[in-house]
Amino acid sequence: MSDGLRPWHERLDGALADPDVRGGLLDFQRSWRTSRDERIDELEELTGQTFDELRSQLAGVKRDVIADLPGHLANFRRNAEEAGSTVVEVGTASEAVAYISELCHDRGVSLLVKGKSMVSEEIGLNAHLEGSGVEAVETDLGEWLLQLAGDHPSHLVMPAIHKRKEQIAQLLTATLGRPFPPDDIDAMVKSARTELRERFLTAGAGLSGANALVAESGSVMLVTNEGNNRLATSLPPLHIVVVGAEKLVPTFQDAMLQVRLLARSATGQSITTYTTFVTGPRTGQEQHIVVIDNGRSTMAADPDFASALGCIRCGACADVCPPYQVVGGHAFGHVYTGAIGLVNTPFHHGLEAGAGPQSLCVSCGACAVVCPAEIPLPTQILEVRRAVAEELDTSRWKELALRAFASRRLVGAATRLLAVTGAPFRDGRLSRLPGPRRHVGWRTPPVVPLVPARSRGDLTARDRTPLAETAVTGRRVLLFLQCVTDRLDPPTAVGAARLLRAAGAEVVVPRSQHCCGLPAYDAGYWEPARRMARATIETLEGEDDVVTPAASCAIAMVHDYERLFRDEPVWQDRARQLADRVHDLVSYLQGPARLPDGALHGRSDEAVTVHRFCQSGNVAESGDEMVRLVERLCGIDVRPLPEGDVCCGFGGSTSLSVPEVARHILDRKLGCVDETGAHVVLTDNPGCVLHLRGGADASGRHVEVLHVAEFLARRLGPSPVSTPYALPPTMC
Amino acid sequence: MLSDDLLDGFRARAERVGTDVHVVEDLGQAAVLLRAQADGREVVVAPSAADHRLLAGLGDGVRIATGEPERSADATVGVVRAELAIAETGSVLVVEDELADRLVSMLSLTLFQLVAASCVVASLDDAAGWLSRRAGAGYTALVTGSSRTADIERSLTVGVQGPEAVHVVVVG
Repeated sequence: MSDGLRPWHERLDGALADPDVRGGLLDFQRSWRTSRDERIDELEELTGQTFDELRSQLAGVKRDVIADLPGHLANFRRNAEEAGSTVVEVGTASEAVAYISELCHDRGVSLLVKGKSMVSEEIGLNAHLEGSGVEAVETDLGEWLLQLAGDHPSHLVMPAIHKRKEQIAQLLTATLGRPFPPDDIDAMVKSARTELRERFLTAGAGLSGANALVAESGSVMLVTNEGNNRLATSLPPLHIVVVGAEKLVPTFQDAMLQVRLLARSATGQSITTYTTFVTGPRTGQEQHIVVIDNGRSTMAADPDFASALGCIRCGACADVCPPYQVVGGHAFGHVYTGAIGLVNTPFHHGLEAGAGPQSLCVSCGACAVVCPAEIPLPTQILEVRRAVAEELDTSRWKELALRAFASRRLVGAATRLLAVTGAPFRDGRLSRLPGPRRHVGWRTPPVVPLVPARSRGDLTARDRTPLAETAVTGRRVLLFLQCVTDRLDPPTAVGAARLLRAAGAEVVVPRSQHCCGLPAYDAGYWEPARRMARATIETLEGEDDVVTPAASCAIAMVHDYERLFRDEPVWQDRARQLADRVHDLVSYLQGPARLPDGALHGRSDEAVTVHRFCQSGNVAESGDEMVRLVERLCGIDVRPLPEGDVCCGFGGSTSLSVPEVARHILDRKLGCVDETGAHVVLTDNPGCVLHLRGGADASGRHVEVLHVAEFLARRLGPSPVSTPYALPPTMC
Repeated sequence: MLSDDLLDGFRARAERVGTDVHVVEDLGQAAVLLRAQADGREVVVAPSAADHRLLAGLGDGVRIATGEPERSADATVGVVRAELAIAETGSVLVVEDELADRLVSMLSLTLFQLVAASCVVASLDDAAGWLSRRAGAGYTALVTGSSRTADIERSLTVGVQGPEAVHVVVVG
């Protein structure tokens, strides 16, 4: 496969070493978000439909097309051929490049001008053409500059976003032999006009991709701003289109739906300057439309991945992605970048090419929120991760560790050992360990308490009368602690229990509970995940509500268990029944266990901000529930956290496998916390608590990070239980 | 009046992307406008726009474009015909089957797109309907404002491989 890319680890290291990449992308992501949101609001007003409704519509159109690609292609072919085009279907990338170079050779083409085409990158066309004596010149400004630099696109829509104007000025000065001041961007851009004009006029062929293939007319739709694609497709006597069949849409009406969503999601425009419909060649021209498979029919036949073929290449998934912001498109992807690249790379370029990039995903769900084709990218990325874990992981140590982790007793013993050996390094809740800077320099590890939450007296002691009558008064509630909370942050669990009792519930803590399996699921090892999930389902089975202070586990049980057990209908059914009873603590305290406003009124001078677990926003759609909970119970004003939706960087396995990436995402989050001036940061997920707490400490910030349960429970007053032990610590 | 609303809507959207919108009563007035804008420079008229009433009004200093690119390259003032103006987006729909029409549209520095007032429509759905009904080979485009790029550090430059300035003249 001659895609000309350096090995992934090299690309990753190079990206991490370049602060300009992440600085530029941070600005880009922020300004993109503002203009995209404005344009989407405008679209909703214009159409009277919500974004979700519109993208559902588009997803429906693509679903029908993907379900019968041959049928729609036949329709397209008939109309395109009637308009004078030659339509040819090829299977592999090498068949595509062979066809195109033979065609060029046959027609005596020595110079080919290119409009932007990601498919041409996918098949490695340029290198092959150069090898067979055809000069292929990029004419899209960003692509042209990259070609001059011997570089590759790092974003679907903004290919040169990783380049600074100073670098481009230097490049043009060296290449064109005249000086380009770095601040005169206009001059740099205009150089393309003069330098490329002659190429347009003399080229023997012009090559374009297609944003859509309109079947009802046999038209190629090109969505552009610059105008180079129009010149490239009009002037030369041969127009070659290279495209995947998934770009088909049945009608112009469908094409306009795509047009309404595409520019808004891609560039934050309402529409691009040019939306061109090319139907057949012009007089005196030949047109060949090369429709390529290269793994697309395999995707179409796979129910987990077929929807990814609905991608309209807007790049929005990259524009909201926290790890993408840190490393850029050269590392976050292969040829295709962004979340969609993590999904389609195994099909177009093999599983090994996708293995490195997929490890960067933190599963925050931000991409799925903005995808105009409604593609369930986070789920698909985890499917890729599973394939990588099952097929490529030769060391198997991760799997062994996760299998060991499935044993509650083993974990209990291991944490006791860590608690004892770590005792000399205790500093409050944190451990001052001498360790490799890679892991502890930027995030101080937590202390491992000797007494886990499950063994504490104040977890189950009825320490006071309920504060008020609520819908859960007298009701039994099962408390699911979560492995992290239980072993590393007991005050969160105790806080959750006390709050539920304050609402009148009878809190029961099933002894056999352990891990819900999320860490293993997230790491791609679904067998150990299923083991832990089955044990969890059994432990929690019954009629009572299940409440957990771990938003991540609640989401796993409600959304992911179904997927884990898709081949086991009995367990899937039991999982669904459990899902109906599972609540995260925050929504439960706003719902059935709703204490009256002001019930926890107390200190009001604390400067508090709230970081919501990314999936709480993106997957569970909890809105600003946690803010409202804190404000109404405590009567304080919560300071809004900028970029509140953006992941903190913990990402489960990600912060262990690519800590440098997790670190930079954390820096971004802590920078936002700084902006609020808050001294207290509340969050609804224990993973975020430990990550933020460790990061705040390591960076010398005097900010207290608490789970919202602990913060609220402090206002109930101290627990009268004097000893923390309910059971001897050697039990479970 | 419904058509006034449409025209106002079109004008608002077009102006937002930097397109100047002029409303004239007939092609004779359009010619007067073009001559004034051209300010003594040559006007290149695409065959699609070469209506005799317009040409008569333009007089000397006008050339009808041919399919030879060198002769249309960077024409200071180009004139093309548009079939529809779409209020939803501030776009016009142009038919450019012939290379001569495309060259004026693509290579002029300042472009004037002439559209009949009765052809101002509400939405992209109307444009879709029009395209659906027009069978056969061709080259059509929705054009919204001028050629642009933000490929270098997201800094916007207008007039890259296309016009720097676009005007729409609504006639009738």
